[in-house]
Amino acid sequence: MEKAMEREVFRADSPRTETITMNMGPQHPSTHGVYRAVLTMDGEEITHIENHVGYLHRGIEKLAETRTFTQFMPYTDRLDYLGAMLNNLGYAQTMEKLMGVEVPERAEYIRIIMAELQRIASHLIFVASYAIDLSSTTGWMYCMRDRERILDLFDMVCGSRLTTNYMRIGGVAEDVPPGFLPELQRLINDLPACFDEYDGLISGNEILQKRSIGVAPMSAETAIAYGVTGPNLRASGVAFDLRKAAPYGIYDRFDFEIPTCANGDTYDRYYIRILEMRQSVRILQQAVDSFPEGPVMAKVPKVIRPPKGDVYHQIEGTKGILGFYVVSDGTSKPYRLHIHSPSFVNLGVFPEIARGGNIQDAVATLASIDIVLGEVDR
Amino acid sequence: MYGQGLVKGLSITLKHFFGRAVTEQYPEQKPVLSPRFHGMLALDAVRCNACGTCANWCPNGVIQIESVRDANKKRVLTGYALDMQYCLFCGLCVESCPQNALSWTQDFELACYHREDTLHKLYQAEVSQVEAASGSE
Repeated sequence: MEKAMEREVFRADSPRTETITMNMGPQHPSTHGVYRAVLTMDGEEITHIENHVGYLHRGIEKLAETRTFTQFMPYTDRLDYLGAMLNNLGYAQTMEKLMGVEVPERAEYIRIIMAELQRIASHLIFVASYAIDLSSTTGWMYCMRDRERILDLFDMVCGSRLTTNYMRIGGVAEDVPPGFLPELQRLINDLPACFDEYDGLISGNEILQKRSIGVAPMSAETAIAYGVTGPNLRASGVAFDLRKAAPYGIYDRFDFEIPTCANGDTYDRYYIRILEMRQSVRILQQAVDSFPEGPVMAKVPKVIRPPKGDVYHQIEGTKGILGFYVVSDGTSKPYRLHIHSPSFVNLGVFPEIARGGNIQDAVATLASIDIVLGEVDR
Repeated sequence: MYGQGLVKGLSITLKHFFGRAVTEQYPEQKPVLSPRFHGMLALDAVRCNACGTCANWCPNGVIQIESVRDANKKRVLTGYALDMQYCLFCGLCVESCPQNALSWTQDFELACYHREDTLHKLYQAEVSQVEAASGSE
């Protein structure tokens, strides 16, 4: 009896206890949807993480094969549902590349405006949810307040706030309404002050800094090895952005910078988004200043039958490189459609960088990667 | 100095404490929606010639159209129903309509208790009307 008890006694010279397996998710508020991580814990320390995805799988790639090229557009809204405009843009540009369609000038400008507004809206959700994951409810409210104004602009233009379905193969669905530009200008004027507020309220908060500076650093080598793209890669110090590296649409006409951070830790992955939103406002201002008149839709047949062949096109989404691969057999429906989603790729690095920390750090790390499960599982 | 960031954050929230409230008190106060808002669909049955373009464009097969041929072999609309449980609110039907018979309304309170209530009949001709249209062949 005594011997048996002795074995159970904690001994200082061998502090390793038996590891336990814990489930984080699929129903966990900090997993931002139905994502499940199986954590192997040695006391407080995470020794191993296993990603389990697929809880939100709707088979969108397969659905595409039974829809026409036009009918697939509303489904792209439901990939990364916080960046619907950018998904629309990616798919529309892919099809235009396959068909060789020239998009009218005004439509290109509208697309840039919508894409950058959507980028700000998505980053605002990131900042908001990052704040609330680190227990700052106030931060959430402030970001939601400002995102609301962007969604109101979307509502004005296309009648929907979240699942916009605004872009079409060859242009955009409708021209912007008369009151849109003045409202947008007011928003552009107000946004920098809002970012200053987040800096004061969230970035400068010592509690948040203590919880995120130095947590789960990701080196540039690790990021590249795992194929991480978007703000997460730029937070590790790699200045790679498709808008500059391989400009699509009319991005080469705008003057903006690619902000980078040095450490690649959780705080940097948060702060890079604030810096990117400021650059997006710069692009918006330039687009508004040189907004041309003209048609918003190219001459595209009502039933789209692209030539036989395949095409791959990628854009800089809100979370990283978003790519569409379309195979056409000459009919009105795609033979195969594949979506390269940034969230799925970025999630792969989570077990690597969160290992060695504790659960609280893992929550902060997962929040900083900014995943959207609609895009991970498709 | 440690704690400076907290004080700054508190001063920001304090400033908004005296500002204008931005929250909408929803059930009491109705939101102001844009004219293009995608609420419920409305059909102008006089304009509709039952061509079926909207049903073909719909990605999910939401639209069910019933029609008969009259004496001149022309289609006459006898029924138009929407199975709203599958609707994506994408607006491709409204966009495709050659007669501009479909439009959006501002009504967004579409939640209901029973699945069968999601079937919205936008137009249903009387039996006598159907007989009059098809019987004159």
